[in-house]
Amino acid sequence: MKSKYILISLLVAVTGVFAGCDEDSWLQRDPKDRITDEQLWNDPNMILGLLANYYDRMPQLAGVFNTGTMAEFDDAMWSGHVDQNWHNDLNYGDDYGRYWDYGLIRDINLALEKMEEFGVNLNETQKKQFNAEFRFIRAYIYFELVKRMGGVPLIKTQLIYDNSGDPAPLQEARAKEHEVYDFIYNEIQEIKENFTQTAASKTRSNKYIALALQSRAMLYAGSIAKYNNLMSNPITLPGGEVGIPANMADDYYRKSLAASEAIIANPDYELYNLTGMADGNNFYSLFMDKSAKEIIFAKDFMTGKVHGFTYDNVVRSFRSDIEGSSMLSPSLSFVESFDYLDGSKGTLRDKDISGKYIVYDNLEDIFANKDSRLYGTVVYPGSSFRSQPVSIQAGVATWENGSYVLSVGNLGTIYNSDGKTYTGFDGPRDNDQYVSNTGFYLRKFVSENPQDGVRPSLASNWHTWFRLGEIYLNAAEAAFELNQPEAKDYINTVREEHGGFPGNSIQTLTMDIIRNERRVELAFEDQRYFDLKRWRIADQVWNGLDADANAVVHGLYPYRIYRPGHEDDGKYLFDRMRPTRFKRARFFRPANYYSSIEQRVLDNNPKLVKNPFH
Amino acid sequence: MRTKILSIAACVCLLFTGCEHDNFDEPNAILSGRVVYEGSPVGVRTNGTQLELWQAGYQLYTKIPVYIAHDGTFSASVFNGHYKLVRLSGAPWEAQTGDTIHIDLKGHAEVDIPVKPYFIIKNESFRKGTGTVTSKFTIDKVAESASVASVNVYLGKNILTDHNKNENEQSLNLSQLVLGQEITMTSLIPESLAGEDFIFVRIGVRSNKSNEYYYTQVQKISLK
Repeated sequence: MKSKYILISLLVAVTGVFAGCDEDSWLQRDPKDRITDEQLWNDPNMILGLLANYYDRMPQLAGVFNTGTMAEFDDAMWSGHVDQNWHNDLNYGDDYGRYWDYGLIRDINLALEKMEEFGVNLNETQKKQFNAEFRFIRAYIYFELVKRMGGVPLIKTQLIYDNSGDPAPLQEARAKEHEVYDFIYNEIQEIKENFTQTAASKTRSNKYIALALQSRAMLYAGSIAKYNNLMSNPITLPGGEVGIPANMADDYYRKSLAASEAIIANPDYELYNLTGMADGNNFYSLFMDKSAKEIIFAKDFMTGKVHGFTYDNVVRSFRSDIEGSSMLSPSLSFVESFDYLDGSKGTLRDKDISGKYIVYDNLEDIFANKDSRLYGTVVYPGSSFRSQPVSIQAGVATWENGSYVLSVGNLGTIYNSDGKTYTGFDGPRDNDQYVSNTGFYLRKFVSENPQDGVRPSLASNWHTWFRLGEIYLNAAEAAFELNQPEAKDYINTVREEHGGFPGNSIQTLTMDIIRNERRVELAFEDQRYFDLKRWRIADQVWNGLDADANAVVHGLYPYRIYRPGHEDDGKYLFDRMRPTRFKRARFFRPANYYSSIEQRVLDNNPKLVKNPFH
Repeated sequence: MRTKILSIAACVCLLFTGCEHDNFDEPNAILSGRVVYEGSPVGVRTNGTQLELWQAGYQLYTKIPVYIAHDGTFSASVFNGHYKLVRLSGAPWEAQTGDTIHIDLKGHAEVDIPVKPYFIIKNESFRKGTGTVTSKFTIDKVAESASVASVNVYLGKNILTDHNKNENEQSLNLSQLVLGQEITMTSLIPESLAGEDFIFVRIGVRSNKSNEYYYTQVQKISLK
């Protein structure tokens, strides 16, 4: 009996020995709760997933489709919830526009190094492709850093702490402003031929997307070099962290122009004008049609990855959710920056020389014969949305004692005396929320599909980082600065294809025309704030003056004339007004040209110098 | 019964002990003063310019901004201690970021912060005419490197009248400007002010070195 037990235990022990032998498969198994470096950097699909995360984190002034930030300049005001009326009472703080995302830069540096170290099973083409994409995103981040903060520390490798107790090796001083731009340029030159798998992509970088970044970044560097030094008191730091020497301007302009020319010469891209009719709908569709050949690089949205821009900004009476709508109200000065098609300035004709109202038969008549991009960008009185007319009318003008008296009712009311509209369903209404306070609504990027304005499904139209229209304007500006005669051809092409102007609508190009054209064409595309900064005119345009018709957002309210028996009865007049909710004129101080560096960052790295005025 | 009393007593004790440690004291010292040039206060745009205070020795090291009121005065409620005060750029005077002013604060301190404006306005006087205000003043250069960018007379219905907020602005033709000599300017009182009992008037000069104006002290003028 005893021997039986011994036998069994022996058997068990022997079996155990055999089973234990294969150490590799038994004791060293792949963990199921984490991914190892070897797995990740040898699997193209996983690297692609990582890239998607980095593309998603690419920066914009305050994030893609951020309605609130769009309401903080001269193109629009905030008409959303009153709790956020600070958009209309804004004092650009020293930290306005601050950006310091070295976390993302570290992630990319880590990816670049780990892929080299572990990615033995990737072939050369794949490695080059991924390497180029990582470096493109990093170059884009450095561009965002330099345009907001000036020269920043150029960190190109992982910084790893050695536990010595001395953090000094990790503390990098700021590079000169131009060194950051040069870094961006050099990176683009090194990577641009390495994109072999994304030639046709619009959401992953490729050669032409890299060139588009070159076109924009070099234009910025050139204009800072030129216009900073034209200021009466140029903004510089002794170490060159801020300010670029004037003699570098032409070289930067040439680099920008070279990139723009290469993109324009590529037949895969063309200005959006499908029907050959450059009407407002065409300009509107350019941003909604994902097959548009104009788009160079975009951040895509789809079911499951959506944004609330249509919910935020749909015209009041078209809203399909119980809340929201109408948050961004385009300003009168923005509407007036759209020229008339005959080439004259876009000032609206609301009163004659003697100060009397000019009356119009129809609401839309005052906007007739304007640049068709106005229709594509703004919903104005008398226009339509989702194929239905909007109901924009502020009130009724009655004739009393030799002048018009303007009166307003509640939204969607009927005027008792004649049973016609008193105040429209879409306002405008002064000092109200979720209805336009200026008389204008936004059309650009706002979806025609009612379902896109409903939470939580929301909208999935994409955000354009780069498009050919901008490249044409970049080319025009760079060529103009270099005194090249073809500058006006670039700008005339855009005006013809997008604005509906006749060919060669501009004979003599000036910087003011270029600047206005950018305001009109690139509105709400995260450009104007940075444009005014690089031209060094932000402090003059947003001058903080209470009497300035541009720094203070104004509105234009349409009134129906009630004057029985008179020929003007039933016609419309337009009244310029200052919205009550708009509290403080936009005031950009010299200290805002470069945002302040956070004190915590300065404390951690004593080698950093502060930006001017901070 | 006993446990009830005990637990109530414990709760009461907790209430009392909780007070002391959860809260910081409120700042108990006042630092106030004026920004002066040669002993007279410098007028600025309200809250437009700032001085900054620094206090070393604490983990949270961050500046305390001290905004300057229109008449050149400021005050800050802080803790007792040793502070460094820095005169930043972006003001109508020369930045002296390297030249720190040390302040020992115990309870209350009143300090005059000397600054060097680019330009100053002196000997200003105002006279009301019929529907007009006539201003006489002299502009002096203080900082050698600067030149005048603009000179304006402002009328407003509010004591906070400056370049940004005003009802009327009258600009001097710079070709008529002679530094150190008396200048006379006449402003028309606009319709929006004509019905007021009194208005405020102020002169500002801006150098090409800064976007902020140096202002005279606000003067109240009675219209009735």
